[in-house]
Amino acid sequence: MPTPTDDELIQRWRSEPAPLLPLLHAFHDRDGHLTDDALRAVAKGLRMPLADLFGTVTFYHHFARTPPGQRAPRVCDGPVCRLRGCDALLRALPDATPMPCAGRCDAPIPVLRGAELLVGTTAGGAFGAQGDERGWPPPEAFLRLEPSPLPPPYPGAAGDGSGECVFAEIRTPGRATLAGYRATGGYEALTAARSPSEIIDVITQSGLAGRGGAGFPTGRKWQAVADAPGDPKTIVCNADEGEPGCFKDRALMDHDPHALIEGMAIAARATGATRGFIYLRYEYPDTMVILERAIAEAKTAGLLDGFALCVRRGAGAYVCGEETSLLNSLEGKHPFPRNRPPYPVTHGYEDKPTVVNNVETLCAVAPILRHGATWYRTLGLGDHAGTKVISLSGDVVRPGNYEVPIGLPLRTLLDEWAGGPGPGRSVQAVTMAGLSGGLLGAERLDVTLDEPCLRSHGSFLGAGGIMVFDDTRDMVAVAHEAMAFFAHESCGKCFPCRIGTQRLSERLSPGPGGSGPTELDPWTTEVVDIGDAMKATSACGLGTAAPLITDSLLKYFPEQVARHLAARKA
Amino acid sequence: MSNPLADMEKPDVIFAIGTNMTECHPVAATRLKKALRRGATMIVADPRRIPLAEIADIYLPLRVGTDVALLLGMAHVIEREGLCDRAFIEARTEDAEAFFEHVRQFTPEWAETICGVPAADIERAALLYGRAERGAIYYTLGITEHICGVDNVQSLCNLALMTGNIGREGTGINPMRGQNNIQGAGDAGGLPNNFPGFLPVTDPDNARRFSELYGREIEPVKGITKVRALELAAEGKLHAMIIAGENTLVSDPDRAHCQHALENLDHLVVIDIFLTETAELADVVLPASAWAETDGVFTNTERRIQRVRAAVPAQGQAKPEWWIVAQIGQRMGAPGFEWHSAQDVFDELCSVSPIYAGVDWEKAGTGKYHWPVPEQGHPGTPRLHEDEFPSPSGKGKFMRVGYRDPAEVVSEQFPVWLTTGRRLQHYHTRTMTGRAGMHFFVPQEVLEVHPDDVARWGLTDGGKCRMVGSRGAVELRVEATDRSPRGTVFCSFSFGDVPVNVLTGAGYDPVTETAELKVCPVRLEPV
Amino acid sequence: MNQPIQTPAPSTLAAVMEMDGQEVSFTPGETIYEVSQRMGRQVPTLCYDDRLDPFGGCRLCVVEVEGLRNPVASCTTKATPGMKVHTKTPTLERHRKTLLELVVSENPKATIDPLRGSASQELVQLRTRYGVTGERFAGHHSGQSRTDDANPFILRDYDQCISCYRCVRVCAEQEGDYAISVRGRGFETKITTEFDGLLQDSACTFCGQCVQTCPTGALADRKAMRAQADPEPIAATRSVCPYCGVGCSVDLLSKGDKLVGIRPARDGGANLGALCVKGQFAFDFVQHEDRLRTPLVRGDDGTLRPASWDEALDRAAAGFAKALHDHGRHSTYAIASGRAPHESAYAIQKLIRATSGTNYVDNCSRA
Repeated sequence: MPTPTDDELIQRWRSEPAPLLPLLHAFHDRDGHLTDDALRAVAKGLRMPLADLFGTVTFYHHFARTPPGQRAPRVCDGPVCRLRGCDALLRALPDATPMPCAGRCDAPIPVLRGAELLVGTTAGGAFGAQGDERGWPPPEAFLRLEPSPLPPPYPGAAGDGSGECVFAEIRTPGRATLAGYRATGGYEALTAARSPSEIIDVITQSGLAGRGGAGFPTGRKWQAVADAPGDPKTIVCNADEGEPGCFKDRALMDHDPHALIEGMAIAARATGATRGFIYLRYEYPDTMVILERAIAEAKTAGLLDGFALCVRRGAGAYVCGEETSLLNSLEGKHPFPRNRPPYPVTHGYEDKPTVVNNVETLCAVAPILRHGATWYRTLGLGDHAGTKVISLSGDVVRPGNYEVPIGLPLRTLLDEWAGGPGPGRSVQAVTMAGLSGGLLGAERLDVTLDEPCLRSHGSFLGAGGIMVFDDTRDMVAVAHEAMAFFAHESCGKCFPCRIGTQRLSERLSPGPGGSGPTELDPWTTEVVDIGDAMKATSACGLGTAAPLITDSLLKYFPEQVARHLAARKA
Repeated sequence: MSNPLADMEKPDVIFAIGTNMTECHPVAATRLKKALRRGATMIVADPRRIPLAEIADIYLPLRVGTDVALLLGMAHVIEREGLCDRAFIEARTEDAEAFFEHVRQFTPEWAETICGVPAADIERAALLYGRAERGAIYYTLGITEHICGVDNVQSLCNLALMTGNIGREGTGINPMRGQNNIQGAGDAGGLPNNFPGFLPVTDPDNARRFSELYGREIEPVKGITKVRALELAAEGKLHAMIIAGENTLVSDPDRAHCQHALENLDHLVVIDIFLTETAELADVVLPASAWAETDGVFTNTERRIQRVRAAVPAQGQAKPEWWIVAQIGQRMGAPGFEWHSAQDVFDELCSVSPIYAGVDWEKAGTGKYHWPVPEQGHPGTPRLHEDEFPSPSGKGKFMRVGYRDPAEVVSEQFPVWLTTGRRLQHYHTRTMTGRAGMHFFVPQEVLEVHPDDVARWGLTDGGKCRMVGSRGAVELRVEATDRSPRGTVFCSFSFGDVPVNVLTGAGYDPVTETAELKVCPVRLEPV
Repeated sequence: MNQPIQTPAPSTLAAVMEMDGQEVSFTPGETIYEVSQRMGRQVPTLCYDDRLDPFGGCRLCVVEVEGLRNPVASCTTKATPGMKVHTKTPTLERHRKTLLELVVSENPKATIDPLRGSASQELVQLRTRYGVTGERFAGHHSGQSRTDDANPFILRDYDQCISCYRCVRVCAEQEGDYAISVRGRGFETKITTEFDGLLQDSACTFCGQCVQTCPTGALADRKAMRAQADPEPIAATRSVCPYCGVGCSVDLLSKGDKLVGIRPARDGGANLGALCVKGQFAFDFVQHEDRLRTPLVRGDDGTLRPASWDEALDRAAAGFAKALHDHGRHSTYAIASGRAPHESAYAIQKLIRATSGTNYVDNCSRA
């Protein structure tokens, strides 16, 4: 196929919905980076100011402006991949640069190169962390293509899968195809004759709530969009799974894409929406292929009539997981969070009523409609309704995605389901909500996995990422990496987050990047003051959550902080 | 302007024609851009791909001087599609039916053959303006500096009257005045046909009143325009002239003629702040105090009356212009020139001008009054024609106008259209901007030529060219740019070393005697 | 990271709210910040410009709303009936001071010359008000001044930049040029233009609106700054721009007898704080060495020579008198200026009408 010209690319995309990101990707894929001329052509083609476009492009981590750009390997240096030797991999691959957690914490280290997602590891080879780089084999020796792992077999008490909702059928072979999906009851919920209000009633009664972390009741959100004036309405699936340590949405989309599509189509019917977007994080290129194939199948089968659904790929920005940033990003605007109110339910995509739901939430919709609200409610333990997928990674024997009943004791998950921290080790800390919920020290592992319990300890379940650190780990270093991540991902709109994440990161830094007092008292005062201001005044969840890292570090590991400062002073 | 500047943020359809507003009235253009940001749509008609065209929804690149044809084509579509505002036409206009009959013959296809704009685009533009809830028209000298300037304006009025887009918020016919106080110069009576306040000189009552006020019998006869005055001077029939603050020699058309006229005078007095090319021809040059050194009043394009104030002392012996003129008057033995301050002069103007009757020096200081302000206590009139038009019947009259070619058209000898105008960073003949660091942006004049034409005429981008017209020639650098359409070139008249007005001056509008500065056939030769 | 949707207050109540224990009515659509300004509360802010869309960046204007867990930015939050707001609690003041200390940790300069721009003292003033010394939160600086941008009009001293985006927003929302943008994100955010170039290579039209809204003087009026060392106080005189017919209100800045700069008037009816490159920067002509400083008369040798006012005025008057005497009333003519004030045009038309009895006068509107 001949290389497309600028004009051909612009003609291809200019009349499509939400054209900016796919058009930029088309240029990026063609040239390996975004040249000045490409940006000029895009600005002209989409009639947008060049300075705005330039600024927006530079916002995204993965848009390169210079060679080798997209052709160079980008190696995940998320918290778990650091435990697994990403530094060695970074040294082993020519031109490699780090990227934030790429959402494969249950598999070898992910590496993006060109349009491909590879996985790799130097572990077990002759090239350890201290190895001599010159004698290393070519990258192909330790990089390979590998599909993302399925969730481990259900380890729950029932043992027959009856405790699961979104994972109940995911392991059935062929489930990712339309035929396989239909063979296991797929699209029955969509094709069943239910009125919009019946759908919303069942979802409301089920107690399903936002599984991206916000926990807003899904039925209420849908009702608000159904009631809101203004057309066309839109269903947006938030598949920008950017939280470090979270990889559950990838598993759902890779192995059960039709469940998501059916959930979105049902949401469209319930709310009267006619268009839909799956906003997929950049780091999941295989998932993009899977989703687009599945959408095409569903379209051909006439399952999406009246609902124009397409996938839009992000470009590497954690803040785009915040729903209003995501909407700005879709619209081609600078991906700052919007001020709220108004909320997306009335002023969402293109200022029209919009549902924004997480992948896991939408995947739960069809099973709930098939099995009923009561069935779903009772999957939870005690008063808690339903299930939550936990992405478990780090120092455990069996990392992976586990769909747990809400209210499950954390200890059960860690020790019984995932095999504990490994022989001779003990768990020193876990993170909650990926990184956003901060740390829980060993003395707090008696919590149950539900928001009321976790919030009472200053944390939250959020999107459900839990990273485990055993007793060999330096928790100040973990906290520093976490804060450096937040600083890297802060959008820069609001002062407390933009400066606060940087100053906190500097205070946790062991090396020359560090600054701030070296005495414990003034250090603590500064860190607490910054954190308090961030929690109280930040404009979105990134800035309010980031200080939970320092709060929990001070709470559970004060002696490690003191050691850190002593080392800084020396 | 019929409507205030604030209304520029309120239309849902903007029709900008013959106005390079982002460069010539940049701050007014910001208000249009705000309307666009709020969802308004914009039609831009201009021979050049000006910055406004880049942000337009419909751009109509018409050939220079063919506005009437374009506007007739649009009127045809509006009438044909039944987009006329019948109630407005019934209540507020006259001669509508005859006008509709007139426009039925002028299809967009006919217009395309003259103005070169695709008929389909004329249709689209007409439908957009015709369906507007609040449609507003903006124009500048691209409409008026033609031999058919009046016809152009009347064609625009016809569109507004057809659609009822006048006399309401966010609508109107809005000419943007080019100079800071050009409106005020007319308000104050600097016109051959009007006394202060636009009172016709031919009305015997007015003539009698001003004769009494000024202590000299004034003939109830229209004076002559500047254009005619320069002709008479050239013929030796005018002997003394006083020019205040205008570099006539450079800004007016047909420079050779102008120079001859001024040199032919027995007595030329120039009042200015610099020794301009015009002042160098004078017998007496009188130094005026400049802006920032002078107290006084300006009226802007929306008829807003505002005070200017002195912040620093005048340079050297420079004096306010009113003082200089008053001294001449006194020395000629005329009564009524015994003013002590700018306030004295302005308050006298207010006392003789009905549209200023309700303002005075103090009120002008608030900057809140738009004339007419007919009596004390009146709040001023930001928006004109809300209830009636300034005609004997109070109704808006449709005018049946037809297309005429420019005074000179392209030929084998002069195959290229030259059109002239201003640039953002310079102003007029650069007496001010040439002495304020603006050369940083535009150090010299360039001729904007379409890249295809650069090749066609054997020119080079950045090289020099000789531009020849029937009255003269100038040399200047070439810039290849698709801002110029094929067959049309552009330059400004701001630079003394590129006196482009040696070329212009083929004709004048018969009513206003405004020169056709926007159209001039030339040929281009490499140097 | 999603935050729960807040239930809107019932709209059945009258448009009355409570601010610091005082009942206050409001217009629907009004923000808490706007109400606070009407009430004379001095809620601090650095990213607010009343002409711009609410942004919510600096977070200094946060207020407490009873029933809400976290403070809200008063500039982006609309007043709702029954809302109970506290604008100045010890907690809020503590957070505000922390935020200012964070800002100042990047911008250590304690004094900024007011000639830099209309809003240039805002950060300095808040610093003083909150007693921020700049001793806490030491760390890296993100600002990088563009010393390579040598244009003589706009200084880009980004070492003083606090990323409030007022320049970006004023350029887009008020000027409509979209020339200024923001590169990168987070702490590495940089105010820039397309491709990080120089202003003159960008879509910038040098209108100066960014300079006048900058709260730290990071973007500054280089022309005015030429007079920084002059010891006289700055005086401001309200006037109107001398260029096109829009009639923008300006304040003329002078030091002693020297005209040093121009400021757009925020309350100018025609411009509401906007100017263009000419109005903002093209004022040097006033005190230019080329100015005519004495009357000139043409001597017997045919050249212009300096003369006294008396001589020049007598010559001027005599020439007109002679023409009228020798050739009658239709021999003299006047062209009034479209640039000078009304008084000039009025005087000159009166001169012709009162001395010749004709209407032989025009102005320069025909060319």
